[in-house]
Amino acid sequence: MNSVLSSIIKKEFRHILRDPQTLIIVVIMPLVMLFLYGYAITLEMKQINIAVTDHSKTPESRRLINRLTSTTFFKVSVFDVPERDFDNVFKQRQARCILVIPPNFARSLKRNTSTDIQLLIDASDPNAANYIQKYITQIVRQFNFTLNRSVTQAFTLETRIFYNPDFKSYYFFVPGLIATILLLISALLTSIAIVREKENGTLEQILVSPVRPYQIIIGKVVPYTILGFFDSILILGLGHFLFGVPIIGSYWLLSFTLILYIITGLSFGLLVSTAADSQRLAMMAALLATILPSFMLSGFIFPINSMPEIFQYLSLAIPATHFLTIIRGILLKGNGFGALYVPIAYLVLISSILIALSVKKFNVTLE
Amino acid sequence: MQRIIYIIQKEFRQILREPIFLALIFGMPFIQIVIMGYAITVDVKNVPLAIVDQDHSSMSNRIIQAFSVTESFRFTGILASEKAAVKEIDHNHIKLALIIPVHFERDLKKGLKPKAQALLDGVDGNSAGVALAYAGRIAFNLQKEWLDQKKLKSVRLCGIETRMLYNPSLESVNNIVPGILAILIVVITSFLTGMSIVREKEIGTLEQLMVTPIRKGELILGKVLPLAIVGFLLFNVGLLGAGFIFNLWLKGSLLTLYFMVILFMLTTLGIGIFVSTIVQTQQQAMFFTWFFMIFSILLSGFFIPIENMPQAIQLISYLNPVRYFMVVIREIYLKGTEFRFLWKEALAMFVFGSATVIGAVLRFRKRIG
Repeated sequence: MNSVLSSIIKKEFRHILRDPQTLIIVVIMPLVMLFLYGYAITLEMKQINIAVTDHSKTPESRRLINRLTSTTFFKVSVFDVPERDFDNVFKQRQARCILVIPPNFARSLKRNTSTDIQLLIDASDPNAANYIQKYITQIVRQFNFTLNRSVTQAFTLETRIFYNPDFKSYYFFVPGLIATILLLISALLTSIAIVREKENGTLEQILVSPVRPYQIIIGKVVPYTILGFFDSILILGLGHFLFGVPIIGSYWLLSFTLILYIITGLSFGLLVSTAADSQRLAMMAALLATILPSFMLSGFIFPINSMPEIFQYLSLAIPATHFLTIIRGILLKGNGFGALYVPIAYLVLISSILIALSVKKFNVTLE
Repeated sequence: MQRIIYIIQKEFRQILREPIFLALIFGMPFIQIVIMGYAITVDVKNVPLAIVDQDHSSMSNRIIQAFSVTESFRFTGILASEKAAVKEIDHNHIKLALIIPVHFERDLKKGLKPKAQALLDGVDGNSAGVALAYAGRIAFNLQKEWLDQKKLKSVRLCGIETRMLYNPSLESVNNIVPGILAILIVVITSFLTGMSIVREKEIGTLEQLMVTPIRKGELILGKVLPLAIVGFLLFNVGLLGAGFIFNLWLKGSLLTLYFMVILFMLTTLGIGIFVSTIVQTQQQAMFFTWFFMIFSILLSGFFIPIENMPQAIQLISYLNPVRYFMVVIREIYLKGTEFRFLWKEALAMFVFGSATVIGAVLRFRKRIG
């Protein structure tokens, strides 16, 4: 009986190895994505184009502008735009924001407690708009500091940052990348592998042979588990040695949770494959149900705390959410099982539900 | 001409024969718009926070109160010690802990500048930075409260009056929705075009079509047009959906946008045909288009502004056709930008489009014919 199983596994491996394009993409895509994410993705902005209209033209206003340009945040791209051209500056994308210093700036600064400057921001990209506002506020705050040297702080807030003191983004993205790529391989590839046999009619041929359904499933699943495991080691290794992402926690726990997560993805792929009849249907379903939510709702890029409450609950049903907690905990915090049993339990729960559903469905379809 | 129409009819019949698939491709944009529109908040909210109060004074109560009323933080409770706080951060229960030391109020009154501590979980560097800035702002306001009134009069402050143009409430939906519409076109036209040709290859019906008197140009046109039409329809459904769900209506000219969509489809359809000439199975086609999509979307400025990227990657992004369309659709959608400010992007899309279509068709004739 075991020889039956092993021959199915062998057959499946041969299928994978015979298709070098798929293999290349399975190996190369994660690497390229790792590089892109590592180098290209920073939400933090630098060298933002700013237009400055200085109606005051005094030493004070120039001092403020100097503060602005001496940081790496801003680069003045246009000087002294007249008000009627503001709209065109934004439409031609010459600047993302316009700073207007009023004519009475210097005088008012000497007399009044508060003097306002105007800041116009192109908010069509709200993320950038937020950053611009944050940076300008910071710069103006420093400017205010120099104006009021006599006023001292009442108390200070000393900050200690744990685990990632320099706010390095790859500490965050490498685990996230593992979570999404593993899901891509385990859910998408499995579902397609099974549906392809269905579509070509070879699944029926296997079914009339003396192979049991569970043997087919296990035989299909094992090669992809190995492939997924290999991929995650590849990404982890590169992330560790190239980007310096630490691996503080236990390797055993890491391997165990990796396999658990791969199984969750595979069981989802199985479920899709029992429901879908064509490869493109399987692909779209897997795409829609795995990739999108695990990118958007798992906390990979966008923090879960900030989402509306319904989405926070929804994120609990997504395996990637729990896996991210686990792998970030192990890699960056050195968490042991004691700190992680809740997300692990969630993964076990989700995968058992999925497996139960797909086995039931698989048996029904076969009869 | 007649022959092209037959093929188009056949294609449509095939598309309509699979209702689940049709539902998926029409349902996808809605799910995407709703999920992305709500989930992608650049704002950082509800950061779980705990406070270690070793002072038990009216000042420490004031601090606790100030941190528990904001939307930015979710106050989870008082902890006994610093050690407990570190453990809570370790176990992912809180992201920020504030420690108010003993004699904080006494030292404050004496003018000794006491030190409060903030312990921050830095794993998510991006939102941790924002959370820290919020904490700093609250602390700053508390300090202002503490300054006496006489001193406050001598303070000279420069304030900022901010105006957010085109999207005053900073809704990320407004930025994401046009982006999703752009991606929708990529998915439907390039992804599905490649798949539908390769499917016939895989099943063997492409050869049957080849022996009929259809010319290759006609065959390609017949295969490609239906999906272009579906993509275009879907784009319009998306436009209406965005309007009715999020009350986000097109600000600029619809005609200009349609023109740009057609220019852009040249490229995406060309890529679809091109992929179909290099691969043998649907699985491979899928991976190739996937590959293309991931890069083109990542380097299009959809999530991450291109200016944030390193110089070398910025240069690469000029080779990405989606980049131009992403700019165009957002500009027209949100700012109502006129064609005279967008002709450069239009030209780039036209060049890319005609090059890919011609290249792909030539390759198709050679490989398949």
